[in-house]
Amino acid sequence: MISIESVDHRFRGRAGEVQALAGIDLTVETGEFLTLVGRSGCGKSTLLRIVAGLLTPTSGRVVIDGEPVRRPRRDVSFMFQKSALLPWRSVLANVLLPAETLRLDQAAARRRAGELLELTGLTGFQKALPKELSGGMQQRVALCRALLSEPRVLLMDEPFSALDALTREELSIELQRIRQEQDTTFVFVTHSIEEAVLLADRVVVMRARPGGIRRIVEVDVPRPRSLGHHAHAGRVTELSAELHELLLPNEAA
Amino acid sequence: MRRVFLPLLGVALTIAGWWLAVIVLEIEDYLVPTPPQVLNTLAERWAVLLEHTWTTAWETIRGFALAIVLGVPFAVLLAGSRIFEQMVYPLLITVNSLPKVAIAPILVVWMGFGAGPKIVMVLLLCFFPIVLATTAGLKSTPAEIVELARSLDAGRLKTFWAFRLPQALPQVFVGLKTAISLAVIGAVIAEFVGADAGLGFIIVQSGASSDTALAFAAMVLLSLLSIVLFYAVQLAERLLVPWASEH
Repeated sequence: MISIESVDHRFRGRAGEVQALAGIDLTVETGEFLTLVGRSGCGKSTLLRIVAGLLTPTSGRVVIDGEPVRRPRRDVSFMFQKSALLPWRSVLANVLLPAETLRLDQAAARRRAGELLELTGLTGFQKALPKELSGGMQQRVALCRALLSEPRVLLMDEPFSALDALTREELSIELQRIRQEQDTTFVFVTHSIEEAVLLADRVVVMRARPGGIRRIVEVDVPRPRSLGHHAHAGRVTELSAELHELLLPNEAA
Repeated sequence: MRRVFLPLLGVALTIAGWWLAVIVLEIEDYLVPTPPQVLNTLAERWAVLLEHTWTTAWETIRGFALAIVLGVPFAVLLAGSRIFEQMVYPLLITVNSLPKVAIAPILVVWMGFGAGPKIVMVLLLCFFPIVLATTAGLKSTPAEIVELARSLDAGRLKTFWAFRLPQALPQVFVGLKTAISLAVIGAVIAEFVGADAGLGFIIVQSGASSDTALAFAAMVLLSLLSIVLFYAVQLAERLLVPWASEH
C-alpha cells in the first residue's frame, strides 16, 4: 500500500518560487491500478517522482508498505516517457540491467528476462540494438526491464505518449494482461482520458497551479477492456465524458 | 564507383594543374618541383624518408596517447566536480589561447633536441580538444538516463562506468578526431624549432639547400601520415562505438 500524506512541493523557477503540489493526500491499495490524469503542469509527473524517491517533497511524506520513502527503493520500478534504453546494449542486456545494479541472482534474472521478452513478443530480438526497433518495441523492452526485478510497485510516467494510437492501445491491452499475472501496484501518469479509462481501477483527476487532486473517479468497467467490438461502450463513453468535463479549463466546481 | 572515382579525379586534376603551371609559367626547379621530380625523390631516397616518417609518427603517437591518458581523467574531474571546474576552466582556456608555437623554443631549452619536446608539443595541441569533447560528452547524459540510474540504485561508480562514460564515447571520439588532425602539426612545429630527425627536420634541411623536391616529398609523406592516423582513430571508433554509427 502506498500512502501519500499531505505532500507539498515547491521549486524555484525563473519567475520565482512555483508551488507544484499542494496538500496531496492519496492512498493506493496493493494491487490497484491507479491513473493520474491532468493537463500539463498539474504536477502529476512531480508527484510520481516523489513516490519513486527521485524527488524529496518540500513537506509531507510518502509511505510504502509502512516505510517512509527517502530514496529510490529496490522494489519500486520506474518507467519513463522515453524508453531510456542504453543504445550500446542489446535488448537482452538492457532488460538485464537491473540485475547488475540491484545484484539479483543472475541465472534467475536471465530466466525471467526470457519469459518477459516472450510475454511481450520480443523473442528473437534479444540481440538487436535499441535503434533497430520501432518506438513501440523499445517501450516493450523498457517495460520488460522495469518488470525484471518483480517490483511491488510500478510507476509509469506517460510511457505510451510518444507512440501512435494503435500501438498505444496494443500496449495498454498487453499491460492489462501482464497485470493479471502479477500482484503489482501500478501508478500510471497520462494525459489521455482514453488510456486512463482503459487501464485504471481509479482515475485521479488533477488540477493545476497549484497541483492538487480535483476528483477521484472509479472505473467500474469489467476487464479485460479494449476499444474494439467488446468494449463496454456505454459506460466507457459516460466515464470519458465525465473526465472530459473535469479536465476542461473552466473549473467552476 | 562514383564515390571512389570522383575524389581520385579531383586529386589527378590538381596534380595536373600543378604540373602544367610549372611548365607554362616556366617556374624554376628550386622554387617548385614538378610531380615526377617529387616522385623521383621519393623513389630514390625512400629508405631515409621512411625512417624520418617513422620518427615523426612515433612522436605523434606517443604525444596523442599521452593526451588521452591525461585528458580523459581530467575531463572526468571537470565534469564531476563543480569546484574543480570553476577553479581550472578559465586557466585551461587561457593556456589554450596561447599560440603553441611560442612554447616550442622553450621546450627545446628545457628538454633538448630529442623526442621529448615533440611529444610535449603534440600533447599540448591534443589535450584541449580531447578534454573539451569528453567533458561535454560526460555532461550531456540525457535526464531520463540519469533518473534511470538513480531509480535502479546504481552507485556513483556504477553510474559513471555503465551509464555516463559509454554515453559520452561518441563525443569523446569527436574530440579524438579533432586532436589527431592537430597532432602531426604539433610534431612538425617542434621539429622545425630543433631536431635532428623527423619530416619537419627534413623540410628545414631541404629549405636550407634549396632542395624543394625533397621538401615536397616530405610534405606528401606528412599528409599520408595524417590521413593514416585519422583513419586509425575512425576505425577504433567503429569498433568501440558501433551503436552510434548512422543507419
